[in-house]
Amino acid sequence: MSPIVEASRASTLEARAYRRVGFGRLREFVERESVFSWLILTPPVLFLLAFLGYPFFYGVYLSFFRREVAGPATFVGLGNFVTLANDPIFWQSVGNTIKFTGAATLLKAFGGLGMALVMNQNFKFKAITRAMLLLPFIVPTVLSTVAWQWIFDPGLGLFNRLLVVSGLATTGPSWLGTPSMAMVSIIMVNTWRGLPFFGISILAGLQTIPVEQHESATIDGAGTWDRFRHVTLPSLLPVIFIVTTFSIILTFFDFQLVYVLTGGGPANSTHLMATYAYSLSMGAGQMGLGSAVALSMVPVLGLLLVLLTYYVRKD
Amino acid sequence: MAQPAKSKTGRRDFLKLTAGAAGIAGAPWIARNVQAKPTTITFARESSYVKNFDEHFQKVLVPAYQKATGIKIEYQIQAAGGGAVPQLVSMVENKSGADLAWVQQEWLYRDALVDVSDIAEAVGKEQGGWYDEIKNLSVDNGKWKSVPQANIGQVMVYRKDWFDEAGIKHFPETWDEFLEAGIKLKAKGHPYGMSMGHGFADNYSWLYPLLWSYGVTVMDKAGKKVALDTSETAKAVDFVRKLYKEACIEDCVGWLDPHNNKAFLTSQISCTNNAYSIMVSAKRDLPEMGKVIDHALNPKGPNGQRYHSLVPVTHGVFAYGPDPQAAKDFLRWIMDPKQYRPWIASGDMYFAPYLHAFDKIPEWDIEPRVKPFQKVLETGKLTSWPAPANRAHGAVINRWVVIDMFSKACTGAPTKIVIAEAVAQLKQIYG
Repeated sequence: MSPIVEASRASTLEARAYRRVGFGRLREFVERESVFSWLILTPPVLFLLAFLGYPFFYGVYLSFFRREVAGPATFVGLGNFVTLANDPIFWQSVGNTIKFTGAATLLKAFGGLGMALVMNQNFKFKAITRAMLLLPFIVPTVLSTVAWQWIFDPGLGLFNRLLVVSGLATTGPSWLGTPSMAMVSIIMVNTWRGLPFFGISILAGLQTIPVEQHESATIDGAGTWDRFRHVTLPSLLPVIFIVTTFSIILTFFDFQLVYVLTGGGPANSTHLMATYAYSLSMGAGQMGLGSAVALSMVPVLGLLLVLLTYYVRKD
Repeated sequence: MAQPAKSKTGRRDFLKLTAGAAGIAGAPWIARNVQAKPTTITFARESSYVKNFDEHFQKVLVPAYQKATGIKIEYQIQAAGGGAVPQLVSMVENKSGADLAWVQQEWLYRDALVDVSDIAEAVGKEQGGWYDEIKNLSVDNGKWKSVPQANIGQVMVYRKDWFDEAGIKHFPETWDEFLEAGIKLKAKGHPYGMSMGHGFADNYSWLYPLLWSYGVTVMDKAGKKVALDTSETAKAVDFVRKLYKEACIEDCVGWLDPHNNKAFLTSQISCTNNAYSIMVSAKRDLPEMGKVIDHALNPKGPNGQRYHSLVPVTHGVFAYGPDPQAAKDFLRWIMDPKQYRPWIASGDMYFAPYLHAFDKIPEWDIEPRVKPFQKVLETGKLTSWPAPANRAHGAVINRWVVIDMFSKACTGAPTKIVIAEAVAQLKQIYG
């Protein structure tokens, strides 16, 4: 090799090494756990601050003011909360929200578990059935709720037509017309929409249970129920807990479904805290009072988050 | 030695450059403020049931205004069905969106609207004068904050064929006769469908007139004292409960505004209170039904009077817009009879102007079944009547205080309790 070529190679290598040292230092800095974790965290934190933090703190601020659309804000301290405490519709909406969330979550949890157990079996068209079951979760809520409006139609709706055609009833019930049935109907639609979330999550949990555990339980003489009770269920509990917590949060804040289906009626029987907050602030223009209703939902959310964090840490 | 020319930009040069660039980028905005005319004006309106009305605006009025002034009108159509008010509220809160709009529930944000008294007074003068009742909405503290465009009439919509079959030759004159006819029709499998849910028009349009015709108003004229707590209210509540149980479809207590249209068009109900939209849909999609639909004024009550509830369309100009004067000029232009009358006519009289010059125009005779929508103006009141149409009244409407008083009674609550609950809410709101 000619000395010229050698010299040039040497200088190139030297330059590369120099660059590598520079780059290496930066890399070393970035790879430090404290730096790296912040680098990764910063974009989502900024995003959350801008799109969740700002509206949240603005809501907190508003809840202490009497503030109407395009009007000045007057500080009223806890005045809005006192007004709400004396407002029967507020308490009715709290009761409705608890009923709605409790019933829908229980139905989704049990239904989802059943769905997952079935989906875990081997049968023809398993893949397509699994895909189909996800549909309620994928279709936009507003769209599916409009379809449900037709299903609940008193004369031409699917349910009432089935009841009449099958001879089970001469006329079907009024699904959205009576307070109790309207509540049943919104719980039904929420369950329908949320079931796949439970089903798929629990199915994922089911598939992580080693076959050996079932085999050794069978050898020990455990029947199907015993295997479910002592092997499957304990292994699934963490998944069920987390999915249920998420579902409670989502159901508690459900808005679209009720807004489209009943608007909180008849006679406020399906008014949830979210729909009431909306009708107060965006409809009646009472931004402060509406924010106070929305803020009243936060303690429940906070409690759930504490429970969730505690559970995850314990794990 | 000669200095080599500086190839890199200095910090100061960079600052100058960026400032310049920002200036250029901001130029259209500056120009919009400095120029006498903006290039575009955004006009937000809820979509109309009569397609031709929106089309006429877009295909005739928009190009005509652009030709005359060089200004392009952006017609921002909002979805119908209760979504427009939250959109307007959020526009006002964010000080953005449109330069002028159909200002639904304008009491929520009157402070954000400019004074349009000059336009309203001129239009009133040239076109026969305004109906008095609408002034209670558009005029605030002696100033017009919006220019009324028209009323969307709400009347009784019924199946004439079924009424004839049941031996009811004329539409009932009183609420009692209305109940009697309803009992007969329900027995024949054709119940009424009177909306009582959390909607924004078809529930108010018969329950408020019914209440008024019992001699009751929600508040006194000054809007200070609750007037609902009377024995007449109890009679009205009892009547509605009876009407619901004996003459209506069970579902209607929870109906939102689209539900009665759907039930009527699918032949599930024989009568409801609605705008002209049911007939528009029937004529278009169900011609046979289109022939047997008719309209009638609301029945009279125990006080011998009949009433209707106004659903006003008013246009307002937002004060925070870049050029409110330009938006006002446009508003004046569309209210000129040359533009205004063909526009109203294009909507097949779905929109009834609050101007007396339109009372007897031949457009009302094209479809005689539409005439009651003009008559509505004579007995029409705002839902706030006789109290001012202010924010407190808005809260009553948006919290369905009066509607729920009736719907609770229909779903089993005692009369005394539902009235007491409504009165308590009114006191809290008007506090």
